[in-house]
Amino acid sequence: MQKNQYFPLALIAVAILSGCSTSSPPQNAALTAAHSSYNSARSNPNVTSLAALELKEAGDTLIKADDAFNKAQDAATVDHLAYIANQQVGIAQETAKRKAAELAVANASAERNRTLLEARTAEADAAKRQAAISQNTAEQQAAELAVADAKAQRDRASLEAKTAEAEAARQQAVIAQQTAEQQAAALADARAKAERDQALIAQQEMQLKELNAKKTERGLVITLGDVLFNINKAQLKSGGIRNVQKLADFLKQYPKHVVLVEGHTDSTGSDSLNQELSERRANAVRTALIDKGIGGDRVATRGYGEAYPIAGNDTSAGRQLNRRVEIILSDSNGNIAPR
Amino acid sequence: MKKLNCLKSYQMSRVGVAVAVAAAVFMAGCASTPPTPAPTEQMAVSRAAVNNASSAGGNEFAPVQLRSAMEKMDAAERAMGEKDYARARLLSEEALVDARLAETTARSAKAQKAAEALQEDNRVLRKELDRKAQ
Repeated sequence: MQKNQYFPLALIAVAILSGCSTSSPPQNAALTAAHSSYNSARSNPNVTSLAALELKEAGDTLIKADDAFNKAQDAATVDHLAYIANQQVGIAQETAKRKAAELAVANASAERNRTLLEARTAEADAAKRQAAISQNTAEQQAAELAVADAKAQRDRASLEAKTAEAEAARQQAVIAQQTAEQQAAALADARAKAERDQALIAQQEMQLKELNAKKTERGLVITLGDVLFNINKAQLKSGGIRNVQKLADFLKQYPKHVVLVEGHTDSTGSDSLNQELSERRANAVRTALIDKGIGGDRVATRGYGEAYPIAGNDTSAGRQLNRRVEIILSDSNGNIAPR
Repeated sequence: MKKLNCLKSYQMSRVGVAVAVAAAVFMAGCASTPPTPAPTEQMAVSRAAVNNASSAGGNEFAPVQLRSAMEKMDAAERAMGEKDYARARLLSEEALVDARLAETTARSAKAQKAAEALQEDNRVLRKELDRKAQ
């Protein structure tokens, strides 16, 4: 009986348990769909970063739905919460899309600015390049000008060098010509001189021949014979004066020559007389030469009397030869070998 | 017998108390919806959301969601009229998320359009500049 008393209680408990366990299937379709879309949204990094708040709201709602489902609340409630969670996931996804689009708008503005900046940079670069090209062109032209200039200068220098060469050649030619002329002139001079010398020598020889000059060891000796003097006198006859004239002419032509006039006699008469006579005759010749314009310093005199005969005094012819005046002609330096 | 009955009734009354307690527990545990007050505030919020979605271009960009929100809103108004507040609350809550989804969709569509337009502008600009640069 006691046992039977508890039986209805157990029945009631069973009834309670069976009443509380919902008759819905263990899985709710709407809740499963909400989970699925929530998980897909959560795996989208855009949604988790841009719509974190919205996603969290969806998650919270989903927990409530799960809770309702686990607590076996009625299907309508679970469906309702699952529906809201699903829509909230959609809101989160759309929010993420909106923010991404807004970011894209901002980025587009930035990119537009960047593009414009790049364009301006490109324009500036192009202008700079253009300027550089212009400068290069100018530099090139300047370089070309410089090259042309240098070439002109080189040509000018070459021309000058050639002109100088031509000038030098001309000068050389002139010098050669002058030299030739000089040489020719010198040659002509020499020839003329030689001719003159020859003529002079010829003339000299002729004159000396006319003076009866004789070549001796002491040089040329001109003898004025006794016949040209008056007997025992120191006066020259006209023939003697002519001879003296010729000698004077000769001495005028050869001013470097000097003469020594020596008087000689024969052995007749006293020595003193002969000495005096010889001296006087020599002086007479000297005086005559001076009269003809010869300087006295070029004419020296000696009287030797009868000391140096050239022939025997035993015949009248010999004596006549011994009575004489000898004129010794010096060399061109004025030297006369002493007797 | 009366005494027995009395005793019996006493025993029965004990059982009855237990049953009553269990029933009360059962009632409390299984009570699906306690009586709810009128969701006036929720209704206002949802209505405003529907209006916002409409003015944000939901008609153009999210017509299905917006229509769903409006229909649920109308149904909620009817439930309010019938004083079925629980139903009104449910409907208005769903109308709210529908409207918000419609509005968000409209806004994101607009933003995407703007972004695409700007990106297209940039493409054109770049093409133009590239052509000029050549």
